This record gives sequence, C-alpha cells and structure tokens, in this order.
Amino acid sequence: MSATDETSALASSGQWSWRIVANHVAILAGLLGAWEIGARTGFLDPLFFPRPTDILAGFWRLYVTQGNIWDHLGLTVAEVLTGFVAGSVLGIGLALLVGMSDRLRRYLKPYVIISEATPRIAIGPVIIAAFGFGWTSKVAIVMLVCFFAPFVNTLNGMVNVDENEMDMMRSMRASKWQIFRKLMLPDALPEILGGLRLAMASALGGALVAEFIASNAGLGVLINQYTGVLNMASAFVCVLTLTVLGFFIFRGMEALDHWIVFWSDRRRTEQVSRRRARAWSERMEKRT
Amino acid sequence: MAFAKPRDAAETAGAAMGETLIEARDVAKTFGDGRVIALQGANFEVKRGEFISLVGPSGCGKSTLLRIVAGLLARSSGELRVHGEEVTGPRTDVAMMFQKPTLLAWRTAVENVLLPSEIKGRVGQAERRKAIELLELAGLKDFAFSFPSQLSGGMQQRVALARLLQTGADVLLLDEPFGALDEFTRERLNVELARITREVGATTLFVTHNIGEAIFLADRVFVMTPRPGEIARIIDVGLERPRDPSIQVTPEFNALVAEVRSTLGGAE
Repeated sequence: MSATDETSALASSGQWSWRIVANHVAILAGLLGAWEIGARTGFLDPLFFPRPTDILAGFWRLYVTQGNIWDHLGLTVAEVLTGFVAGSVLGIGLALLVGMSDRLRRYLKPYVIISEATPRIAIGPVIIAAFGFGWTSKVAIVMLVCFFAPFVNTLNGMVNVDENEMDMMRSMRASKWQIFRKLMLPDALPEILGGLRLAMASALGGALVAEFIASNAGLGVLINQYTGVLNMASAFVCVLTLTVLGFFIFRGMEALDHWIVFWSDRRRTEQVSRRRARAWSERMEKRT
Repeated sequence: MAFAKPRDAAETAGAAMGETLIEARDVAKTFGDGRVIALQGANFEVKRGEFISLVGPSGCGKSTLLRIVAGLLARSSGELRVHGEEVTGPRTDVAMMFQKPTLLAWRTAVENVLLPSEIKGRVGQAERRKAIELLELAGLKDFAFSFPSQLSGGMQQRVALARLLQTGADVLLLDEPFGALDEFTRERLNVELARITREVGATTLFVTHNIGEAIFLADRVFVMTPRPGEIARIIDVGLERPRDPSIQVTPEFNALVAEVRSTLGGAE
C-alpha cells in the first residue's frame, strides 16, 4: 500500500526527471566500480566480495552455459507457491469457520496462542523427520509459515465488524449466511489480504530455511553447495535471483490488494464507480 | 409510483385513520438480573401515518425502546404489538436507521439501497428502478454510482434514508439519524425527512436529544426521563403541516419547547 502510494505520488508529480535517473545510475556505477577495483587490488577480500564482473559472468554461466539454476529455481518457486496457497487457504478457511461460531472461537483460541508463541523454524527438523528430505517436507514447512498470518488476520477482521452494521443487517432479517457473505467477509478482506502479504513475505524465507536444513535440490541447496566450495560469485547469483523473486512476489501481492480492496484507494474507487455506472445502464437498456 | 406499497396501504386505510400500528403495554427492559432498569413501564399507541419523536437526555431509555420495537433487543416484560402481532424479533414491516450511515464501503449508493431487496432475495428491474427513484427522492440523483467514501456525511445519511425506504416497511425507526451532522445539514435533512415520510405515508419513531428538532418533526412528542428510563409525558404538537423551519421562532412553538423543558427539568 504505502510503497505504491509513494511511487505513484512520485510519478504523478513528475519527479522522475532524467537528472535524477542519471544521478542514480552514476551512484550505482560508482559503487560497482569501487567494488570491482577494491576486489581486483585485494583491498576487498574476494571471498566475501567477489568482483561484480565475476558475478555477471556467474549469471551467464548459471542461466545460460551450464543452465543448472533453472531446476533449483523452479523447485523453490513451486515449494513457495504450493505451500503458500495450501497454508493460507487453510488459515483463512479455518478462521472463517471459527469466526462464525462463538463456541469454536472460545475453545480454539488457547491453541492458537500457544502455537503462535512457538518459533516455527524450530518445528522444521521435526517436519523433515516426519516427511523426509523431499518436496513434501519443504511444502509442509512453507505451509506452516504461511498459516498463521492469514489465520490471525482473518479472525481479527471477522471479529471487528462494526456493531451498528451488524444491527443494520439484523434489522433487515438477514440470515447468518447473508450477514457473512454481504458484510463480514468483504469487511474482513483488507485484513485478509494484509495477512496474505505477510505470509508471502515469510514463504520465501521458510522455503530457503527448509532447504538449508536438509534437502537435495532448490536454491537454498545451491547456495549451500557454492559457499561450501567457496564459489562466492555463483552464490551471489543465487542470492540476487532471490532478491528479484522477492521483489516480484511483493509487487504481485500489492497489485492483488489494490485490485480487490479497491475502496481503500481514491483513484481506484472512481474507476470502479464509472465502470459500475456503465454496467448498470447497459443492463437497464437491455431489459426495457 | 415506486412507493406503491406503503402509500397504497396508507390510502386504503385513509378512511380508517386511527388504525393502531404499534401498541406497547408496560414494556420494560432491565439488565444485570433486574438491577439496572433501562426502561420501565412504557405504555403508548401509535397510529398509522403518525410521526412520533422520542426526546430525552442520555440514559432515558429512548434508544432502548427503539431497539425493542425494532426487534433487535428483547424486552424483559410487557406486551408489544406491531400490526397486531407480538414482536419477537426483527420484522419486514419495521425498518431502522442509525446515527452512523452504516453503508457498505464496497457498494455504490444504489447497490447499498438495493441491499434490503437482495436480502429478501428479490432484485429485479422493478427493485432497481425503485432504488434509483428513492435516491432521487433523497436528493441524490447524480450520485447513484458513487461509493460512500466519495460522499459527504449528509449525503451518506441520505443514502441510508433511501435504503430505509427501499425495505418497503411502513414503520420507520430512526435513532438520531442526523445527530452526527452539522446544524445546517441537519435542519435541511429534517425538512426533507418530514416531506418524505408524509409522501410515503410512513409511521415514524424518531429518537433525538434535540428538543426543537423533536417538536418540529413530530405529531406527538414522547418526553423521556432517566433513572429509571421512562416516558414521563406525551405532548401533542398540533402544528400545521407542511412546516417551515421559520415556525421555530413562533410563540406556539416556544410554548411547546417550554412544556418539554419543564417535564425534563422536573426529573432532574
């Protein structure tokens, strides 16, 4: 939300002038140049700071000539997405169920608090012992990491519905299901999406830690392998790949939030308002 | 016209003006095993088409009484009938409006107005046209597709008023509906409320803590006093309709204000 606001504010006020872009490029080039020179002259330990040109060569090697990163990258992405979808669907689903029933809410709460207080990563080895070194245990760990934020946020969203709005629905004799579908669920959407964003942010980390603990494939394994033989340039390629991946995941979630919770953004609200007006007049014309 | 249901009902019952719609006998509400008396011994009848104001300081039980009539709150004792039927919960012929607009942020004005029809499971062309007409009646012709966040507080309450009428209920309950608005907006909306409730032939219970507003709108004013909350006095207003805001400076109006004040003052 805030990041999009800032960039759109920048774009709309026309602050992305050529001068600023040129400054950014100059600063980046200066940094990389200094890094390169420092590494070549031995001022920087190449073990920790491989030369930028070596990293660039590493990209070419890992993605093109050897092409060995693709399988690992694909596996990590698959773990992240599967675990994220499974974990958040479970989290949201359970929260909706619990949120609808006062009794369930009361009885389940202590367990949620206890499990929330447990560091999730600590359960990692336990899960690996149970599910083995393969794909299943990674997905299970990501699932675990992705479960709580959507669960807690969804439950919060369900509980924090305005009492007056509830009365308004009740006074119209709305059924429990109607109150849920027309009031509680849409009302909780901003919080649910906030939970999904938190989950997505931790999903990548969860998958990597799982791969670090024990695995035979994935970017985490690749990083382990390369650092094990002190091939730091290639390790950096993996890390930078993860940076880009994280960036796109974050932006994707932001776009989803923006698209679904349109009413929290003024310009999107105006857009949807015009679209609904058009759809309405088309419908009224068609049937008369 | 779009308001066919209540209006036709009012016309057919026109000859029988005086038909009782709401009947309360010793309606009381206590909390905490009867230790706190929120409302005691409310006795009254409301006739079709009447506009009743409930006025009093906070804690006098006016909102409690309204919520009991709405079926949102169960009474502790007494009898309450609407249309001759015992009130056991919310009814389709009784609708309520709140101090907050309680509009759904993800729905346009007209979609909000259509909510009661959706809940009844009937949204056809007729309901859609009625919703648009009610928005026009509420002075929001050009804002049917605006979202609540695009509307001012006064306009949001106008949408809520249109939604109230869309229910088709002939008993309207309003709980300080314009209490959060500025004085000027409130006065204008009060004039329109008086016009609209007459136009659709609604029977109205209007809660407020503003004495002038209570008298200006009402056929009868229920003056309520706290500790314990009760109807201390029922005052017939008897001012001619339609009323212009300027009547608020007439001697007749001020005499009524003094009467309400003396009742409220005696309780304190």
